[in-house]
Amino acid sequence: MLEHHPDLTAAVIYGLGWAYLLMFVMNAFWVKRSYDVDGNCHMFGQAIPMASFWALYAAVLGMVSIAHLTGSDNPQSFLIRMPDAIKDAFNAASDPRTFFALSTIGFIVVIWAREFLVTPTMGWILLNLSCLYLTLSMTDYDFRQIVTKPDNVPIVGMLFIVGFFTWLSFNRAVENDRRVAAGQPIREREKNEKVLVWPDLVYSELICMVALTAFLIAWGIVLQAPLEEPASGAKTPNPSKAPWYFLGLQEMLVYFDPWMAGVVLPSMILVGLMAIPYIDFNKLGNGYYTFKERPFAIITFMFGFLPLWVAMIVLGTFLRGPNWNFFGPYEYWDVHKLELLNNVNLSEWFWLDVMQRPLPVAPANSEWYVQFGYILLRESVGILVTLAYLFLLPPVMAATIFRSFFQKMGFIRFMVLANLMLFMASLPLKMVLRWAINLKYIVSIPEYFLNL
Amino acid sequence: MVRAARKVTSGEVPAKAEAAEPVVAPPMPAKPVPSSAKKKAPEPVRRSLGTIITVAVTSLACFVFGGLLSSPLLMGLGVLIWFTLMSPFMAAWASIGAVTGIATLGTARFMFPNVLVEPPSKFKVGPASDYPLNTVSNKWKDLFGIWIVHTDQYEGKNLIYALSAVCTHLGCTPNWLDGEQKFKCPCHGSGFYITGVNFEGPAPRPLERVGLRIAEDGLLEVDKSLKFQEEMGQWTDPASCVDVV
Amino acid sequence: MSIGDYIRESQVWKSIFRHPAPVDRRNRVVVMLTNFFLHLHPVSVKQQGIALSYTWCMGGITFFLFLVETITGVLLMFYYRPTLQFAFNDILALRDVTTLGIMREIHRWGAHSMVITVWLHMYRVFLTGSYKPPREFNWVIGVLLLVLTLLLSFTGYLLPWDQLAIWAITVGSNMARATPFLGYEGPGALLLNVGGFDLITSGSDARFLLLGGRFVGEGTLNRFYILHCVAIPLVVALLIAIHFWRVRKDGGISQPL
Repeated sequence: MLEHHPDLTAAVIYGLGWAYLLMFVMNAFWVKRSYDVDGNCHMFGQAIPMASFWALYAAVLGMVSIAHLTGSDNPQSFLIRMPDAIKDAFNAASDPRTFFALSTIGFIVVIWAREFLVTPTMGWILLNLSCLYLTLSMTDYDFRQIVTKPDNVPIVGMLFIVGFFTWLSFNRAVENDRRVAAGQPIREREKNEKVLVWPDLVYSELICMVALTAFLIAWGIVLQAPLEEPASGAKTPNPSKAPWYFLGLQEMLVYFDPWMAGVVLPSMILVGLMAIPYIDFNKLGNGYYTFKERPFAIITFMFGFLPLWVAMIVLGTFLRGPNWNFFGPYEYWDVHKLELLNNVNLSEWFWLDVMQRPLPVAPANSEWYVQFGYILLRESVGILVTLAYLFLLPPVMAATIFRSFFQKMGFIRFMVLANLMLFMASLPLKMVLRWAINLKYIVSIPEYFLNL
Repeated sequence: MVRAARKVTSGEVPAKAEAAEPVVAPPMPAKPVPSSAKKKAPEPVRRSLGTIITVAVTSLACFVFGGLLSSPLLMGLGVLIWFTLMSPFMAAWASIGAVTGIATLGTARFMFPNVLVEPPSKFKVGPASDYPLNTVSNKWKDLFGIWIVHTDQYEGKNLIYALSAVCTHLGCTPNWLDGEQKFKCPCHGSGFYITGVNFEGPAPRPLERVGLRIAEDGLLEVDKSLKFQEEMGQWTDPASCVDVV
Repeated sequence: MSIGDYIRESQVWKSIFRHPAPVDRRNRVVVMLTNFFLHLHPVSVKQQGIALSYTWCMGGITFFLFLVETITGVLLMFYYRPTLQFAFNDILALRDVTTLGIMREIHRWGAHSMVITVWLHMYRVFLTGSYKPPREFNWVIGVLLLVLTLLLSFTGYLLPWDQLAIWAITVGSNMARATPFLGYEGPGALLLNVGGFDLITSGSDARFLLLGGRFVGEGTLNRFYILHCVAIPLVVALLIAIHFWRVRKDGGISQPL
């Protein structure tokens, strides 16, 4: 019997075979490196080279690869595929709450355990794990559909590249921090002779250009650029997504009104980025990798880039399906999936639930200022909360946790920093409020299109 | 760097200049000063930026309002203020600023086209009997972006009205789901009842009604240039719907 | 005398390359100073400043991708007409009929890559603290270039005129409706009202300015085409020139002080 959406086809199995073969070759080289570098461990009363474990792993990969390359004649009964239990676990974990919580926790773990994670062996293990995850997941039809969409392929590549460079930067930063602690010169100062640009730089630029051209041509041949049906103004595809690099912003639209998510917050992001050199008063860490000399700057920037930008893009691209509902990576995109989205405004919660009375409404046909006064009364709680957030918190921050910052930065620079931080924090705060108490708007004045 | 490299490769040329004794130049004679320059130059008039802006704005305002009210007296006053209180230098700068500003505004205005190739805003959609009770008609959605809704669920009245097929969240086109009896927006999942009132998702307010009336020939006529928003209390407007009796 | 020597001794060759090949130290210096394309570089740099593990080469790749996009973009313009009647069919023809229509693939994947490499370049510059004095202003220019890269990609997204294109642009540009004061659904827009006459309507707001119409249509396609092919690339080229010039003037590639 044939499935309509087969998890495995002969072509997929064959392709995965090549992927495993590539991993086998990579790990074969790693065995050589491990044999030269890693040394022995003592087990069963004798010295065993660490490389032997890698050799074992590489051998398994090789056998898996052969199994794929030869066993593709009966895809339905092919055994190597992602177990359903793991699929269910991942689907369950991709709810927006857990997704955001996990990405934040992951971020904290990376910062906290950086010295452990930056060793080459750890990096290699992480790379292998992510490759294995990807290849195993490819055996699922729905996962394959979403990941191999031509416009999504660069995002998958970006995840690997961002991960690698984050690892690399931490590797260098940890090494420099260690050298500083030991009183040695940092790595960027060692072996730092002047060399001529021709040939040292010009040649590497040339090689880079040739390699990139080849890479782009190969990519262009393998993957065709997407082209859908001709445009029609009346038929909105479901789901409709912005270009992938704006999906972080589109995700914010779930939690904020368009004027905040589409105009104010992006402007704040840009202004904030431009303001960075003028509010960073820390003279250290200029021109080399370090973490300990500027932890606040690095944690803030990385938090903005990794969980709030890259992770949001992943979420918007891979996990948002029809009707902008949430779908796990192995879940079928069902147009009729029902999800309750009954959110309440702060004013409704305050007047109806706490005060047990109807929302204040201006008498019919009253003057505009009477109506305006009633609107202010209706939204008074939200307005007070917002004003307190924007105007009360910065002085409190200056007096408590950011005291030393305030003293070093002066009033204006500190206020800029504090406001940028508050705007950045407003996104996770609003998300948490939405999930915790189904809050829709803190201030809701649809009469004047002003919703917060 | 360059010089050092040259020295290595062309070593046979001796550096003559370096070997020679440094020559001490005789002191320069004092510069003759013309007698007129000895008198102290008058202090240039420097006005603060605030003053300049005040003067410029006041005179421009006089001039513009004079033009609007066609009062030569006021325009003359503007010119007078400009030329008496502005230093020539500042007047020049203010003129440049004004011209730049006007040019920018003009360019911005240039970018707004006056003629648009868009569908007409008034059109006939057939007799009211085409639309049975409690149905949503998708017939005109592709062409004009509206639904014709006939329902008695809004405040218990039996009405026909035209809803604009533009989601109030971000302007996607929602779909009418007959089974679930709701409008559902594919972009961010906003949901609206058959009445057009929002009940789920991020949409901040109900769908908009556009103008609907019974024309002289008895057919329903939609006027998309009129729009009626529920939260502004405009749905009570008789032009926003047609009563079915 | 070999042919190679004959060519290199000729007057034509010597008028173009005024010095012998960069095989010895002196000529390797001279070539950097006399060649227009190479003179973007200094003559010598610190070893660690050009180490791949330090720079990740992301800025250079971004610039190279910009060049690729320019070349493939100009080539694509020969086969593309930005009108509702032709746009989609021209892209179809590029895919199915044109020899080496792969140009479009290279253009699209290059554009995606460029967005990623700009981010990574920024990431690297932040992590090495290279935005600190004296390079503050160059960082600001870099942020502007980031915005323009995103805008280039965004405007280009519309041009194939398929469902993917117009709805991505519709979703993306609808936010402009909600611009405070300047969008007709933005907070404060109702206050801009002179004598009962609204200044900001769906026919006069920020989104209308962007799209050249009330919805994504013919005017938008033309507008985005001009922005994508002429206006933004010109600004980007200017800013890139300033960016590179400032790298040199601010003390070359960043190094520990």
